[in-house]
Amino acid sequence: MLTLSLRSFGVRKLRVALTLIAVALGVALISGTYILTDTINRSFDTIFTTAAKGVDVSITPRDAIDDATQDGIAVTTIPASFLAEVERQPGVAKAVGTIDTANVALFTADGDRIGGSGGAPTQLSSDTPPPFSAITYEEGRAPTGMGEMAVLEQTAESEGLKIGDRLKVVGAGPQTELELVGIARFGGVSSIGGFTLIVTSLEQAQALADQPDAYSSILVAADPDVTPGELRDRLRQLPSPTPVNVRTGQQQADQNTADIREALGFLTTALLVFAGIALFVGAFIIFNTFSITVAQRMREFALLRTLGASRRQVMGQVIFEGLIIGLVGSILGLLLGLALAPGLRGLFNAIGADLPSEGTVVEPRTIIVSLVVGTLVTLASGLAPAIRATRVPPVAALREGAVLPRGRGARFITPSGAILALGGVAALAAGLFGGAGIELVGLGAGLVFIGTALLSPKLVPPLAGAIGRMFPGVVGRLARENSVRQPGRTAVTASALVVGVTLVAFVSIFAQGLKATIAEAVDTAARPGTLIVQNTAMGVPLPAAVAGGLERVDGVTSVASVRFSVSRVEGVGRTAVTSVSPTLPDVFDTRWAQGDNELLRDLGRDHAVVTDRWADDHGVEVGDELALTTPTNERLRLRVTGITDDDSGLFAPVTVSNELAQEAFGERQDAIVFAGTSPDEEAAVKARVDRLLEQQFPLAEALTVQEFKDQQAGQVNQILALFYVLLSLSVIVSLFGIVNTLVLSIYERTRELGMLRAIGTSRRQVRRMIRYEAVITALIGATMGIVLGLVFGVAVTVALEDEGLVLSIPVGQLVVLLVLGGLAGVLAAIAPARRASRLDVLQSLAYE
Amino acid sequence: MTNAPIVSATDLVRRYGEGEAAVTALAGVTVAFAQGEYAAIMGPSGSGKSTLMHCLAGLDRPTSGSVVVDGVELAHLDDRRLTALRRDKIGFIFQAFNLLPVLTAEENILLPLSIAGRRPDREWFEQLVATVGLGDRLDHRPSELSGGQQQRVAVARALVSRPAVVFADEPTGNLDSKASADVLELLRTSVDELGQTVIMVTHDQDAADVADRIVTLTDGRIVEDRRTQAAVA
Repeated sequence: MLTLSLRSFGVRKLRVALTLIAVALGVALISGTYILTDTINRSFDTIFTTAAKGVDVSITPRDAIDDATQDGIAVTTIPASFLAEVERQPGVAKAVGTIDTANVALFTADGDRIGGSGGAPTQLSSDTPPPFSAITYEEGRAPTGMGEMAVLEQTAESEGLKIGDRLKVVGAGPQTELELVGIARFGGVSSIGGFTLIVTSLEQAQALADQPDAYSSILVAADPDVTPGELRDRLRQLPSPTPVNVRTGQQQADQNTADIREALGFLTTALLVFAGIALFVGAFIIFNTFSITVAQRMREFALLRTLGASRRQVMGQVIFEGLIIGLVGSILGLLLGLALAPGLRGLFNAIGADLPSEGTVVEPRTIIVSLVVGTLVTLASGLAPAIRATRVPPVAALREGAVLPRGRGARFITPSGAILALGGVAALAAGLFGGAGIELVGLGAGLVFIGTALLSPKLVPPLAGAIGRMFPGVVGRLARENSVRQPGRTAVTASALVVGVTLVAFVSIFAQGLKATIAEAVDTAARPGTLIVQNTAMGVPLPAAVAGGLERVDGVTSVASVRFSVSRVEGVGRTAVTSVSPTLPDVFDTRWAQGDNELLRDLGRDHAVVTDRWADDHGVEVGDELALTTPTNERLRLRVTGITDDDSGLFAPVTVSNELAQEAFGERQDAIVFAGTSPDEEAAVKARVDRLLEQQFPLAEALTVQEFKDQQAGQVNQILALFYVLLSLSVIVSLFGIVNTLVLSIYERTRELGMLRAIGTSRRQVRRMIRYEAVITALIGATMGIVLGLVFGVAVTVALEDEGLVLSIPVGQLVVLLVLGGLAGVLAAIAPARRASRLDVLQSLAYE
Repeated sequence: MTNAPIVSATDLVRRYGEGEAAVTALAGVTVAFAQGEYAAIMGPSGSGKSTLMHCLAGLDRPTSGSVVVDGVELAHLDDRRLTALRRDKIGFIFQAFNLLPVLTAEENILLPLSIAGRRPDREWFEQLVATVGLGDRLDHRPSELSGGQQQRVAVARALVSRPAVVFADEPTGNLDSKASADVLELLRTSVDELGQTVIMVTHDQDAADVADRIVTLTDGRIVEDRRTQAAVA
């Protein structure tokens, strides 16, 4: 029996190849994801471990809230006085302070920015002299004293920088011209993803960062007779002015790696979700191929039964084929994943998430998961057809044109489809509205897809009828009739496409809603003529001097700034904090559940306002007292004076004054600065603001309300593009499904095609017929997908109405999606249509 | 029947394969069929009778020799022109009926015209339907028709475009004797009353006897070419 299985593959090469592709593409995304993230993790691990060489103990600031650091860069610092304390401890051979900050930009002498704005970040780090060896020099030497700097090899290469070049660096302090004296490696590598690293001496870094009396960390080397562990324990006893973490060098490297791993965990999960979607689509195709194959090979099975094969043997044969296809497809997918991993990395580079990946890491887990998942999905998808194969009666071998008996379950298909779809809707609703969690939403969506797929045989004839009317003449009529000849088959083929199209339609609708929401919130809140000033590097704050400078610009009527921090609220836990200037109401019109804008003018040191959602969740009312611990370990008691109802995203759960943020939270830098102008002078004032920023704060940019909205929309679009690319893999898988179904049905209709050609149908007409058939199938899928996408989009929007999400349907994009669906059909039809038109007429007529 | 030939073959040779393994299906056949003739091509299996029909109908290309259909030399035609010629000048009837299951009887009959983008001549269609006797079955699909009825649909389809010649390949091979007689009678009628030319390949002597002329092939050569009783009658 096994030989027979293998033999039959040879006969059906194309079919097997197309099925393999369906399995392989989904598996490729799984293995590609694992390979990429494992490689990135391993790279960071190597970098951090190499960078930690010579470091016996590392002292880093710890905010009082928890151990959190932001993006690996400390949000707080260590007072310089502590270094002297550390140096005095017995067993300390050498201790140095370091400066690490992302609030920096590098320019050529001519003022052109090096290292993208908005893209991969730039970082300034102070050089660490031996025995610390995080930074090593390939060319030139380490920067010493003032006026010197080094960059990473990769930056020097891509920007064409040479030793002796003069470059400009701007940090929180004044702009400074430095000479390039060294080309460096960090942790032994020439580049850390797209990071632009600027290395200077400690003094120079302190000047650039405007941080004369504080360090980002302290590195300690132990005397030879003290182990790192002993020294760490000793230094932990040392009272420090602000909270610190004291770790051995290895612990610190492990911690850094773990932080990165956690940050990348989200990426892994997101990519695996897309892999799951592609495999889910693949499952439809595998199911369809096996179903059609079983139907076509009925006589073969019947013959086997006649010759005495048992039902189990027949089923075993189909299952064994599934096993082989699943395994081979998974292996192909695994190999394809190796090629896909760099592609995925490129995708993230394209949106600015450049990450280091040296070499290729294939963990055993990658291989096991890929093979097991791919094989199981194939086997599961092939199970129903295998069971069907057992129903072939032996007598079918002797009859021509016998039809496979309908399964006992056939009459339950439509009702169970309805039940599944309804169950899916219920699960979706519970997940979205009942707060039952995102898993339930995913499960619900999956059930809706399967339910719709089961219902779709009933939907195919009317849809095909309506769509097919677009295609004229007998060729169009034949295409239409052929597509409904086996509604179940067309339905499953279209359903594979439905999944991808639904998700594309859904994210389009969701993103459009998001953009509309942002635009609406900004429009309602920002007063006309307000300029928004922020750092060109996303998430990096501005020095307070920017706000001061803006105040002096002619025509600026009012300046307000907003800062972000965190706190631990008693009885709640870690809570984000916004702080605002008293002038905020001049430029920003906050919406209130209780209270009014005037509250923001006198928050002082004792008041806070909170958001309505947070107040609801934690039972906080106006007049209540909040007990907070700040990052610098101050304990505060604040009275709640108002409750906001604002969708702009500006307000964290708790809002305090900038004054308090500076004193008690250690937050000296502004996240956003608003500059009010009178609307009719806006353009002229903006020109003056631009000039000021260019001359004194090249890191900052000023945007009008419209520009700000466009920028936000641009960010949404970038993520949207990423989703499109990842979903396109599912759509590609479903295209192979259309190809597969067409090829199989052409094969079944060989004699018909021969007759059509014999009586004078031209090759072109045959091609057109196949193309129409593909387009009809694709449009059925696209139509159903867009409808489902609309349903999901509306449901999610309604669920998030409280968050201020507004519904905005991108009609144009959905129309484009429909057209693309049709084009996909044209694309899928190319090969099968050619095949059909090239059939030898005589052989086809003789064909059985 | 002494009209100019509507279909003629000269020195027709068809070889399959190369060298030692080459099989000669037609070893130099010269034959002509006149307009309005009802001819049967007979011969044992492997005699080359099907190959001859395929070459005459433009479905197969001869290794050498020439075929002229209605004044057109087929050797010079590319696939596109050959297809158009089959569409406009040739009608086909197959052993296995070869109707499209998704179309009704009427649509199947009109298929050659639909493919050509031509409007059916309603009067001719009515006459044809009356001749083949399918009046009340026109909106049925092939699966709802008996074998005999299906083959009558196929005959009507072959005649609908008023081709220069109709080729019938074992038209009675899949039919019982009653249905066979009906179809043969129908072909006879098409020649006698509609002036059609019919060339039929068969190995059934009773079927061949309905024709005007029987051409017999053996080993790729014509061994006999005679008029039948039917022609005399």
